[in-house]
Amino acid sequence: MSEQNNTNDCLMSIEHITKEFKLSDGNILRACNDICIDISKGKTTAIVGESGCGKSTLVKTIMGIHEPTSGRVMFHGKDITKLSNKEKRQNYRHIQMVFQDPATAFNPKMKVKDLICEPLRSFGIISKGEVEERAKELLRQVDLPEEFVNRYPHSMSGGQRQRVAIARALALEPEVIVCDEATSALDVSVQDSIIKLLVKLQQEKGITYIFICHDLALVSLFSHKVVVMQKGTVMEQLDGDKLAESTHPYTRDLLNAVFSVH
Amino acid sequence: MLLEINDLDITYGDNTPTVENVKLSLNEGEILTIVGESGSGKTTVIRSILGLLSGDGHVSKGTLSFKGRDLKTLSLKEWRELRGKDISMIFQDSGNMLNPVQTIGHQFREYIQLHSDMSDSEADAKAVEILKRMHLPNAENILSSYAFELSGGMRQRVGIAMAITFHPQLLLADEPTSALDVTTQAQIVKELMQVVKESGTAMIMVTHNLGVASYMSDKLMVMAGGRVLEYGNARDILTNPQSNYTKTLLASVPTIGGKRYV
Ligand SMILES: Nc1ncnc2c1ncn2[C@@H]1O[C@H](COP(=O)(O)OP(=O)(O)OP(=O)(O)O)[C@@H](O)[C@H]1O
Ligand SMILES: Nc1ncnc2c1ncn2[C@@H]1O[C@H](COP(=O)(O)OP(=O)(O)OP(=O)(O)O)[C@@H](O)[C@H]1O
Ligand SMILES: [Mg+2]
Ligand SMILES: [Mg+2]
Repeated sequence: MSEQNNTNDCLMSIEHITKEFKLSDGNILRACNDICIDISKGKTTAIVGESGCGKSTLVKTIMGIHEPTSGRVMFHGKDITKLSNKEKRQNYRHIQMVFQDPATAFNPKMKVKDLICEPLRSFGIISKGEVEERAKELLRQVDLPEEFVNRYPHSMSGGQRQRVAIARALALEPEVIVCDEATSALDVSVQDSIIKLLVKLQQEKGITYIFICHDLALVSLFSHKVVVMQKGTVMEQLDGDKLAESTHPYTRDLLNAVFSVH
Repeated sequence: MLLEINDLDITYGDNTPTVENVKLSLNEGEILTIVGESGSGKTTVIRSILGLLSGDGHVSKGTLSFKGRDLKTLSLKEWRELRGKDISMIFQDSGNMLNPVQTIGHQFREYIQLHSDMSDSEADAKAVEILKRMHLPNAENILSSYAFELSGGMRQRVGIAMAITFHPQLLLADEPTSALDVTTQAQIVKELMQVVKESGTAMIMVTHNLGVASYMSDKLMVMAGGRVLEYGNARDILTNPQSNYTKTLLASVPTIGGKRYV
């Protein structure tokens, strides 16, 4: 990456995002509460915290899937929570997401090659004739056999589907990739090679990752910044390699709950 | 012996078998964990016990017996009586098995009444009781919610709650805690072990989390490429792995303070 340490390296700023849902009983649930995070360019920002604390809601707001109740997300000088549908579509050229449940994010009638290359096709980057070759190449990157190009997602294992979702997000080489539990269905050995791939692409192409993950050890080894959330609120933000040294009681609780092998 | 499987081969379509030569046995109150490579056949093995292989999967060789009954000869009616009550399953992505257009409460009540003659109010009370055991805040509210209104980890806990409702004799759990943060995971792991202790339930769990496997299991099976590489006492295998694959797997477990990727 170019030497540019004199200026601000903040690529995206999440500013005072609050998101409320109206529940069926009429009550209001505040899933995200005044969240402020600076996402650094070419770095990995991890988000951790207990189930239901608002991690997926936050990233879905960044992706324009939810409209925030208040606050904004600035990216290239624009508030991306207020885009028109057409602008949103254009924005996906720059930001891609791997969803928490890849099974639900896929059209079950599409073959793997078409799923993987759909973003490339929709931006007119490759022709129909190039789909097969490109899909094979992307499958290889995520340690899947080339023959999977003609499979359907339902006849694959959970971890294989998850890797198809990763391959699809990588296809466009976007500036930002948002990963919501993107490696939770992988065995640790495959996970290791996927993380190495993500890091390699980050170093070569400057890709920025926003990475939601329950595995604190993985987060501590791979992220540049960790954001710890509880009940919709950011509890602390710290450097990835400093996670284990945190003195915040909530972060300590998380660290102490990890099961070790021996 | 509660469950006994010998020389099991499973085939999708008429290809070569996907899984070969599986042998295992389980007594009541025992916990067996299956770990291994993504795509190695873990889900396939446990689904075969419930007679619920996906697509055109079928048992092409071997025997499966549950309480002395040959599972291959059961009629559809006998399967229906067994499933959900004597043997129940927490599916990988169990959250996605929920019907998106019905409330959780509606589905839970239907499930309970399929296997018992409880009234609506008794069934609802039962559902609330079990959801509370899953450490879900505000269980009554969960019943009136739709699946999309819950977080990934909340949906997963609804799936676990349903599967343990009737204290099955055999519980098949496919990645039951993969969507849970470490603190919730610790609570759920302890609840599952409590079910085993209370009711003498035998459990086969698939997980990628070797820490959880180590904490819970009596027996361990390691799979790669459709084959069983190791099977036996969990502690022995984890402290003294024989196959190279198991060694690689153990070495790939991320640990805090380990070698950073970046
Ligand atoms: N569309 C929705 N309507 C109503 N409530 C919602 C909706 N989406 C999420 N919620 C609620 O918002 C809260 C935060 O959910 P979210 O999915 O963001 O959690 P999370 O941190 O991603 O949790 P997990 O780790 O379990 O995936 C939860 O209480 C959830 O029930
Ligand atoms: N319906 C199907 N038709 C054809 N092949 C299938 C089908 N379901 C699974 N497979 C294949 O069978 C193999 C074993 O799949 P299985 O789901 O059992 O793996 P797994 O060990 O559970 O993996 P993971 O950890 O990724 O969930 C995989 O290569 C998968 O692609
Ligand atoms: Mg989530
Ligand atoms: Mg599986």
